Amino acid sequence: MVLEATMICIDNSEWMRNGDYSPCRFQAQADAVNLICGAKTQSNPENTVGILTMAGRGVRVLTTPTTDLGKILACMHDVEMGGEMNMAAGIQVAQLALKHRQNKNQQQRIIVFAGSPVKYDKRVLEVIGKTLKKNSVALDIVNFGEEDGRKPEKLEALLSAVNNNDSSHIVHIPPGPNALSDVLISTPVLNGEGGGSDLPAAAGGNDFDFGVDPNLDPELALALRVSMEEERARQEAAAKRAAEESARQEKVEEPSSNSQDATMVDSADDRASEASGNNTDPVQAITLSMQTPGHNDPSVHDVDMSEATHEEEELAIALQMSMKDESDMSKVLEDQSFVSSVLASLPGVDPNDPSVKDLLASLQGQSESEQKKKEDEPPNDEK
Amino acid sequence: MACLHDHSCEDHDCSSNWSLYKHIDLSKVSALNEAVRGSVKSVFKAWEQRLDSSGEHLESNEGDPELLVYIPFTSDVKIKSISIIGDADGTSPSKMRVFTNRDGIDFSDAHSMQAVQEWDLVENLQGVLEYQTRYAKFQSVSSITLHFPDNFGGDTSRIHYIGFKGEATQLKRDVVATIVYELRPNPSDHKTRAEQDRPFQMWNGE
Repeated sequence: MVLEATMICIDNSEWMRNGDYSPCRFQAQADAVNLICGAKTQSNPENTVGILTMAGRGVRVLTTPTTDLGKILACMHDVEMGGEMNMAAGIQVAQLALKHRQNKNQQQRIIVFAGSPVKYDKRVLEVIGKTLKKNSVALDIVNFGEEDGRKPEKLEALLSAVNNNDSSHIVHIPPGPNALSDVLISTPVLNGEGGGSDLPAAAGGNDFDFGVDPNLDPELALALRVSMEEERARQEAAAKRAAEESARQEKVEEPSSNSQDATMVDSADDRASEASGNNTDPVQAITLSMQTPGHNDPSVHDVDMSEATHEEEELAIALQMSMKDESDMSKVLEDQSFVSSVLASLPGVDPNDPSVKDLLASLQGQSESEQKKKEDEPPNDEK
Repeated sequence: MACLHDHSCEDHDCSSNWSLYKHIDLSKVSALNEAVRGSVKSVFKAWEQRLDSSGEHLESNEGDPELLVYIPFTSDVKIKSISIIGDADGTSPSKMRVFTNRDGIDFSDAHSMQAVQEWDLVENLQGVLEYQTRYAKFQSVSSITLHFPDNFGGDTSRIHYIGFKGEATQLKRDVVATIVYELRPNPSDHKTRAEQDRPFQMWNGE
């Protein structure tokens, strides 16, 4: 939340036409600039950002430091590519623009996008760096695009001349599948000092459970947490049902309902909740209380409503039984229906695939009739 | 324009004269070209502690003896004289230029602007020297900027103490911070004495 005025120096030279960053280097750079502007203004509403171009007909300031994000995005549209980048002049003009900022309490920062070769030698850059350090201006360098032999070395020298207490950073981004802006998200350029990020970072590397800051977006964080618990409860209920299936298969003869239950186990619904809605079983009550009502899979809904009532009591009995005996994992695995249902819920595994079936057969040594019954099941969608 | 402190301090209490440090707004003090950010705040202390060099001090960056210190006060002050204690080995500053009531001065501004007053300093390790000001120009100072362009040949410049002698006026030379403009007057803001006891009433005009 540091109060900062930033000047972003854009490279709009001929080298930016290259397509090694998709769609082209210039567009990737523009996306990164938009991302940075958004992040800066979001972290502190009084932060200002300005833009200048370093190539073209000469260094040109597009906007002086402003809080207006729309103005910044608008002026990025008119930028044309051409010419050669003049880094030294660009940095010096940026420094001048920052010197005349309206709010003198803001810290000064320059972000340079270095995509083309740097024609100045190390000594000149070091002198510039020292001047920046003397006037307490921080500098962030984004090294991307053209890979010149001496460019990283020059930029590192510049950084060490400017760096005061780790307030300046350099980032090297080679061409690759990830977009420039995505790589920048996890760097200190966007995260500031100390690595604390105010963005809900898509690429991970954040401290919060679900990638969303509860302070920034409490409703989203709550919704994510609820759905996570729902999913967990559903899977617990599914596992319990599978355990009780194996218990019931031995005692009660209802093959059709078993296969139906097997299909139910895969689909994302809380049929268990409506079937045993009146169940006063405490464990069930706890899992069910976490499930929101009305969250039903309609296809399975139609099929099983007829059997809902008479299965309730059986469910109650079976659940109590399954809870009493220690869950025998081997027994559960022996259950053909349970294993196939688990396999079906895995993405990319089709239980009707012959190789999968052979595996099942070898595992359980089940009879042919059972296998045929599984084939008759409607193929479950991979979830 | 240095004057020697030519009496012993047992007779009177010198520290009360040098008490303007209490009126410095320490949170807004800043310095340019300091090696350690924030170390400038350590040089403002009581007169008795001026020779205490065990704590932090203000040091410039390697190879660059220039220093620029911006000091805002919490109220307007009148400054009679200034005292600077440097360090040995040529690290004491040799010149001082001051600017009053301007903020955001950086090195290029400092070099190009005309200073309000300039002094040639001497090495003052015991803190017995004070530099008098042209008092008329320092009558209502809300902020002062000290520029030390050079030192006595050392690699860096070091300052252990900066003291101000003078008096505080309790007035604040303040910039108008927030102004609220009304499009229409709000009657409740403009009650006359008669109406204060009774709420605003419409006059039917008959």
